[in-house]
Amino acid sequence: MTSEQTFTLNLINSLKTVGSKRTYSKGDFILKEGEVERNLYYVESGAIRVFLLSEYEEQSIRFGFAGSVINSLSSFFKGSPSEFYVEAIRKTTLLVIAKEKVQEIVNQDIESLIGYNQLLETVISQQMEREVDLLTVSPTERLKRVLERSPNLFQHIPLKYIASYLRMTPETLSRIRNS
Amino acid sequence: MKIKNSLLIEELLATTAWSTHAVEKLKELGVDQLNTKSNPTEWSVLECIEHLNLYGSFYLPVIEQAMLSQKPDKTAGLFKSGFIGDYFVNMIRVKPGKNKKMSTTRDKNPLGSVLTLTTVDRFLKQQQLLKTLLEQASYVDMTKLKTPISITKMVRLRLGDTLRFMVYHIERHVIQAERIKRNSKYI
Repeated sequence: MTSEQTFTLNLINSLKTVGSKRTYSKGDFILKEGEVERNLYYVESGAIRVFLLSEYEEQSIRFGFAGSVINSLSSFFKGSPSEFYVEAIRKTTLLVIAKEKVQEIVNQDIESLIGYNQLLETVISQQMEREVDLLTVSPTERLKRVLERSPNLFQHIPLKYIASYLRMTPETLSRIRNS
Repeated sequence: MKIKNSLLIEELLATTAWSTHAVEKLKELGVDQLNTKSNPTEWSVLECIEHLNLYGSFYLPVIEQAMLSQKPDKTAGLFKSGFIGDYFVNMIRVKPGKNKKMSTTRDKNPLGSVLTLTTVDRFLKQQQLLKTLLEQASYVDMTKLKTPISITKMVRLRLGDTLRFMVYHIERHVIQAERIKRNSKYI
């Protein structure tokens, strides 16, 4: 097992043991724009999305479902107000762990620190993947790229949110899915 | 109607600031109260605001587009209202003592949609954009520049009239939203 996998497992185990359990109904906000993200979440069941609100629409940028670790990342790192909303899109149970606790786990030994570094590298690489997604002109190609990363997306997330993530209308998405 | 650009914009900015402030106040109420209505065919506070969002989503981009199509000119110009534009503005503008109910087109009617606090947040973002556009508008020819309108392709309004329509249409429904809040029996 790589240091990253060991660290991620440690983190998830800590989330399971010391994380406090919170339940949200569909439509509840876990974090709103302007608030500071002080936690990391492990999705035990249900589904959540991170979205950006503009003048005209809500743009989904990330999803979490059973097994995901997720939050409003840049706010969490910098302690600055979140630009994003985090919303439960169905009945959801989260395990919540505070930033201080995460840091404690990261700094407990050199192995953990290496693991954490590798996890960050993975996260940054995923963001670059996402950047390529957004620069990909063909809607069919965008869908294909996302399904390669996340084959079960449609089992967890309603189509309208996936459409927003892919920057296309729900109508376009169902059309290319069926062809 | 003929008016100096700067005077018109000053007035529109003041009205816009009033509407923004009023909605920021409304936001302090909970989402349940904002969703209440006295009877099923009337709008809730959030439905009023969503109606404005639907308008903004059409008008803000076309206003921005019109303004970007011309180089800004620093000389303070005059705005002369067009016949149809002035008619539309006077139709929707709230006049003291008179309060005539109007109906909207189906695509701009949010009745029955699921609305949350992001409806208010989106409106406040639109107000911010509207304010920015108004501040730039003094420096363009608001008589010559035209925008399309949402109900028909047959008519285009002078930019100044479109801006007046936007601002007073918002004022109209913010007044309505405040009335709904006052009349709701929610405790």
